[in-house]
Amino acid sequence: MLETVLDPAQPAPGVIVQGATGRAARRHVALMQGYGTPIRAGVSHRTDIAEVAGVPVFADCAAAVAATGARISVIMVPPLSVLAAMREALEAGIELLVTVTEGMPAHDALRAHALVAAAGARWIGASTPGLAVPGRMKLGFLPDIALAPGSLAVWSKSGTLSYECCLRLTRRGVGQSAWIGVGGDAVKGSRFSELVAPFRDHAPTRAVLMIGEIGGTEEEDLAETLQRTPIGKPVHALLAGAAAPEGQMMGHAGAIIDGTTGTLASKSAALTAAGVRVHARIDDLADALAAEHAGECP
Amino acid sequence: MLLLEHDAKTLMAARGVPVPDGTWLAEGAELALPCVLKAQLPAGSRGKAGGIRIVRDRAEAECARREIAALEIGGHRVAGLRAEALVTGARELYLGFAIDPARRAVRVMVSPEGGVDVETAGRAAMSVVHASPEPAALERACAQAAAGLPAPERAVLASAAPVLARCFLDLEAQLLEINPLFAHDDGSWVAGDVRLTCDENALPRQPAMAALIAARPGVYTGACFKMAHGYDFAVIDPDGEIGLVTTGAGLSMKIIDEMTAHGARPWNFCDIRSGQMRGDPARLVEILRRMAAAPGLRVVLVNIFAGVTDLDEFAALLLAARAEVPELTLPMVVRLVGNGQVAAEARLGAAGLALEPDLDRALALAAQIARPQAQPHA
Repeated sequence: MLETVLDPAQPAPGVIVQGATGRAARRHVALMQGYGTPIRAGVSHRTDIAEVAGVPVFADCAAAVAATGARISVIMVPPLSVLAAMREALEAGIELLVTVTEGMPAHDALRAHALVAAAGARWIGASTPGLAVPGRMKLGFLPDIALAPGSLAVWSKSGTLSYECCLRLTRRGVGQSAWIGVGGDAVKGSRFSELVAPFRDHAPTRAVLMIGEIGGTEEEDLAETLQRTPIGKPVHALLAGAAAPEGQMMGHAGAIIDGTTGTLASKSAALTAAGVRVHARIDDLADALAAEHAGECP
Repeated sequence: MLLLEHDAKTLMAARGVPVPDGTWLAEGAELALPCVLKAQLPAGSRGKAGGIRIVRDRAEAECARREIAALEIGGHRVAGLRAEALVTGARELYLGFAIDPARRAVRVMVSPEGGVDVETAGRAAMSVVHASPEPAALERACAQAAAGLPAPERAVLASAAPVLARCFLDLEAQLLEINPLFAHDDGSWVAGDVRLTCDENALPRQPAMAALIAARPGVYTGACFKMAHGYDFAVIDPDGEIGLVTTGAGLSMKIIDEMTAHGARPWNFCDIRSGQMRGDPARLVEILRRMAAAPGLRVVLVNIFAGVTDLDEFAALLLAARAEVPELTLPMVVRLVGNGQVAAEARLGAAGLALEPDLDRALALAAQIARPQAQPHA
């Protein structure tokens, strides 16, 4: 289903929003619609709200999917409810789940991943601002001001750092073929290394920008995957946390240096060895990409 | 976040795990000698750093108490001492459970060579099996990992595994290591040391663990702050000059990186999560109060570029917070990008605050205010 979303030749699949009646969700249903996302329904356990931003609200996913044929769900429910919402979505036949919620417990994420794998579905998140194919749709709350069609695939652990990078890049004429927030949790639905395959043959993508950070081994695992199965396009990287003290959790559940694991040096070395260009500053990155891709976005 | 051994053992004992008799050593308290004195701090390798000492008489105990209390291990000060009964005549095994984010499974680790050598001999002898986070699966994995061991060790692990697997799952640990796991000849066992890393995201449904953490704000500083205030804040350089009011973990980290690379000294890390403020300036008031009390601060940098936040509402909250914290007289550099930016600029302008739309210029401006004599970096 991710491939369908990424393929501009295919019709955009219908989308539901679970937790659509929440304060932030109501606003973002309207913003997503405004960007062209085909939001077909909301799902909420509140029975007093019949519609949000003009789309009908159903009591459960099964009813929403039955009525609309949607195949994608953006899940905007509280952290301890994400697992149950995902189970409900999968049972209703949803094939792509985007969970924006921050604070999902790691044991829940393990169980959620097993459910997603058993259903043959794809999960982006948790703790992600979402994903977007600029000019086509956005799932989540990536800010319009930083979105522009182009040829750069952006994969990021951090929402805000990717906003900052993409804003600067769009101002210099570099837009995105796709933008996927993998999220800042340690246990997650899609890791960087798992995006290599869907983007290898993604024609609109001519280069990749990976925005990583301290903690875990996801960047190292990406480097290993790139070495083993090259993606055939230039890969650039920006890493956050050079000045982070050891043992201090830096906002994201996964962003912590534990002994020698998760350090910036380890990530930078692994990525460089895999042929990835690692940039120190946001502006260095913008300079390098603008030199290669400026003028590709309108 | 790693719990203190004492706190971890409190949780484990309540779940039926045998641990040596032990107490948190109060000032001037008498010891039942001989015993082990163990430094309590959230870091590993305490034994190698001299933080664990067997004491046999009062003189030895007094000396060890003073020396341990003065230690700093892995950047952490000793928060206290646990006095524990000696365990003798037992073999030292190792049993660990850890979340493996790459495999999305639980890594079950068994070694017959536990104790302080687990990093060397123990690692070489360690057997690892992955399993799903279910009690029966973890027990099976443990039996499989122990398959090559002699029968007495296998029996002890078979008896310990169900209890410890249940602890790992019930407490939603990221890591649970029992090292050493003391194995007696009669088949009984005792958890000699417990390393338990908690998932802060699970704390809302882990009341016992949350209570232990809340009781030690001096040790679990970041977690206590987050439980009390709902966002992340940490002082990273007590003598820092630039106070940061920022949102988003990644960009907040990168701002610190870029400032530090240019010789500027950010005082804190902060991910205020401006999208969750819901019209209440409390988060800003809290952080501005802390900044007002930080002696080295010269300037406050506000950076909000968020997908969720309405910037006009944020600007109003920032002004309200400033009014509530008049003791903060430092200059403020404000950089906002996103929904409602134009209205926010007008609102801040009316209050005499200029909005700087460019991050690099905002960083340079803050650095220049902090060190007027230095060259601007951008």
